[in-house]
Amino acid sequence: MTGVPLLAMRGMTKRFPGVLALDDVDFAVRAGEVMALVGENGAGKSTLLKILAGAYRCDGGTVLMDGETVDISSPRASQQHAIAVIHQELNLAEHLSVAENIFVGREPRTRLGLVDFARMRSASTSVLAELGVDIDPRAPVSTLSLARKQMVEIAKALSLDSRLVVMDEPTSTLTENEVVVLLELVRGLRARGVAVVYVSHRLREVFAIADRITVLRDGRLACPVLLTADTTPDAVVSRMVGRELTAIFGEHPDHKIGTTPILSVRGLACAPRVRDVSFDLFPGEILGVAGLVGAGRSESVRAIFGVDRMQAGEVRFDGRPVRWRSPRQAIAAGVGLVPEDRKGQALFLGLSVRVNIAAACSALVSRAGVLRRGAERKVAADHSRELRLRATAIEVAVATLSGGNQQKVVLARWLALRPRVLLLDEPTRGVDIGAKAEIYRLIREIAARGVAVLMISSELPEVLGMSDRILVLREGRVAGVLVGRSTDERTVMALATGIEEQVA
Amino acid sequence: MSADPDVRPPELADAEEPVPRGGWRARAGRVLGAKETGLAAVLVVIVVFLAWQSPNFLTATNLIVVSRQIALALFLSIGMTFVILSGAIDLSVGSVVALVSVTVGQLMVTFGLPPVLAIVLALVVGALVGVFNGAVVAYTRIPSFVVTLGMLAMASGLALGITQGQTISGFPQGFLAIGQGSTLGIPNPVWLAAVAAAIAHLVLARTTFGRHVYLLGSNEQAALLSGIAVRRTKILIFTVASTLAACAAIVETARLTVGQPSAGAGYELAAIGAVVIGGASLFGGEGSILGTVLGTTLLGLILNGLILLGISAYWQQVFSGAVIILAVALNLWRQRHRR
Repeated sequence: MTGVPLLAMRGMTKRFPGVLALDDVDFAVRAGEVMALVGENGAGKSTLLKILAGAYRCDGGTVLMDGETVDISSPRASQQHAIAVIHQELNLAEHLSVAENIFVGREPRTRLGLVDFARMRSASTSVLAELGVDIDPRAPVSTLSLARKQMVEIAKALSLDSRLVVMDEPTSTLTENEVVVLLELVRGLRARGVAVVYVSHRLREVFAIADRITVLRDGRLACPVLLTADTTPDAVVSRMVGRELTAIFGEHPDHKIGTTPILSVRGLACAPRVRDVSFDLFPGEILGVAGLVGAGRSESVRAIFGVDRMQAGEVRFDGRPVRWRSPRQAIAAGVGLVPEDRKGQALFLGLSVRVNIAAACSALVSRAGVLRRGAERKVAADHSRELRLRATAIEVAVATLSGGNQQKVVLARWLALRPRVLLLDEPTRGVDIGAKAEIYRLIREIAARGVAVLMISSELPEVLGMSDRILVLREGRVAGVLVGRSTDERTVMALATGIEEQVA
Repeated sequence: MSADPDVRPPELADAEEPVPRGGWRARAGRVLGAKETGLAAVLVVIVVFLAWQSPNFLTATNLIVVSRQIALALFLSIGMTFVILSGAIDLSVGSVVALVSVTVGQLMVTFGLPPVLAIVLALVVGALVGVFNGAVVAYTRIPSFVVTLGMLAMASGLALGITQGQTISGFPQGFLAIGQGSTLGIPNPVWLAAVAAAIAHLVLARTTFGRHVYLLGSNEQAALLSGIAVRRTKILIFTVASTLAACAAIVETARLTVGQPSAGAGYELAAIGAVVIGGASLFGGEGSILGTVLGTTLLGLILNGLILLGISAYWQQVFSGAVIILAVALNLWRQRHRR
């Protein structure tokens, strides 16, 4: 691998009001290699990607392809230079078919000028076959799983004859098995001579797939490009955060776990995903919930919390049977839910940190329907301090915070209510490592106070590192309950996939 | 709102900036930075321009006429502010004006009920329309746009049906004072609208209901998961809008001395326009009563100016439509550039 790199970015600089997002960054990828791009949130990865995608114009620096300066200042120009960017939030038209999505904007025409569906379908079939994935080109995209949608995006990139494929956190919503399939696909792209830029928080994947690693920190290169073979995940993490990270998850503290369950669920069913889920949750414990995407984890929690109507089963809270018909009732009983989709379901993006924190505790900060602004400010200030929220200004819009700080705001909202049960759905998704460690510490503190914590997570190291017990779901049923300290990833995966029947 | 958290400069939030509170300098900065300030500046420019261009503008007669019109429009735009803040729209308020106008006429003139009772009952009729709108929006997944468009047709049809298309006149003098009289030299409708605006401001800024309106408009899913009674809040919002439209109908009827089934036509558009000009986002969660008051005044003055400058009434419609589109475009542009 010598000669001119396929893509070379020199001295990339991008300024936003008040901040230098990229400061003189050099970045290069060769044909037929996988270059990982890592860094904490806010390090400048996405800015770099958006420049590649033609969504942002850089304030300084040059972009070269095959050694020639090119202008990629619009998405169209970027595409014309054979660059395909697959964003974290996929860009597919849900109600259109797979084939239509692959050929969107360049549909083959018949002589009459109408869309030639037959040709589109056969071309799609061959692209999908090349990728070795079995997807019906006629299927509407909305019927596909997230993993398959991503494959459609990759097929689209291939059919465009892209020479550079950029993937932004491609695995953040995939299960472990789907990740394996995806990585195989990426290897296939590399073998065809495509240059791949792989952006991920997950170092395990980076080390499994990348040839070289570029580390960004605070908008600059943290170090010269690393060869994957010559480095270790620990070394990369310390480059990313600029400090050594000791034990991200912290120690299992020996705090007291209650003996009578605060929440017990028996035979919970909620079509279509949840069939038969039973478990107990004790005060002071962290119960990890593992399983594949679609195993019914989020759906179970939503049904318990009163968002979705449960069809069968019994929920006991503090010994009494309950059936919450709305989140309002669950909250009144002392239950909080941190949903999976932070921006879509938890945050009021345009509103201030103060309003976001106080959103669920109107009762505490008002009297007879009138807001007590002092009380509200105090609740917000107290909890942002408690969470070491770096936003000292509680009046800024929550949209301006980083992912980690946003998640802390969501946690603060529930802590303000002094809950007895906290349901967490993927609490560290899209959060950088530094903030993750803080969120873990917080979750431990919350549990140590006697709050019962249920934590859904697709990241096995997280589940294993944090949980006192692990509930594994498979196809809407309980596949097993494991003790957190004495199990490993293989055992959890075996239960989650049902490949080997194993006794807990 | 699809921007990645990564893109947003987190350092902005992380910077050790003090809370912008207190200190006249900080306060002055905030006041000058607010979009209401820009609007107020535009308003001053228009007033100066009209005073310079038309000798009739700054006369007592004209000011009384224009302030009455603005006051009337204000009732509707205040109600519309609640609806738009929650991320919805109410197209039926104009036809509620018609329905309530003939209802109050029917009750007071035809049935001879005491004016106070007739007014209260007419307001109840208006409120019920809102309850209906809100309930349908809250309990079905039908967009508010469609529900209230249907209601627009139903309410105006009802108004025509009740009166067989006739107008109703012969109101008692005391009732007409609501629309025509003045107190301390200021027309009564202006007093009433000012009171409505003050109450609405307090409700939005200082009550849990007001807060819930913003939360709902900012993110309905998150509001639901935060334990806000989303349905109840929606019903209340549409009820507020309809009731304020009914208030406008009473004032309008008293001013024109007739209950008429054609009253209020097109008022919904003016109200939406005023709210948007006032800086509210049509996506919800952003806007204020102060902005709406300024927006309504601005639109009212522009229309008055067109009359004074001798531009035909037909063109005025074209003009106000264009102003509304312009205001929305400006808001979107501003939102994009704040990022």
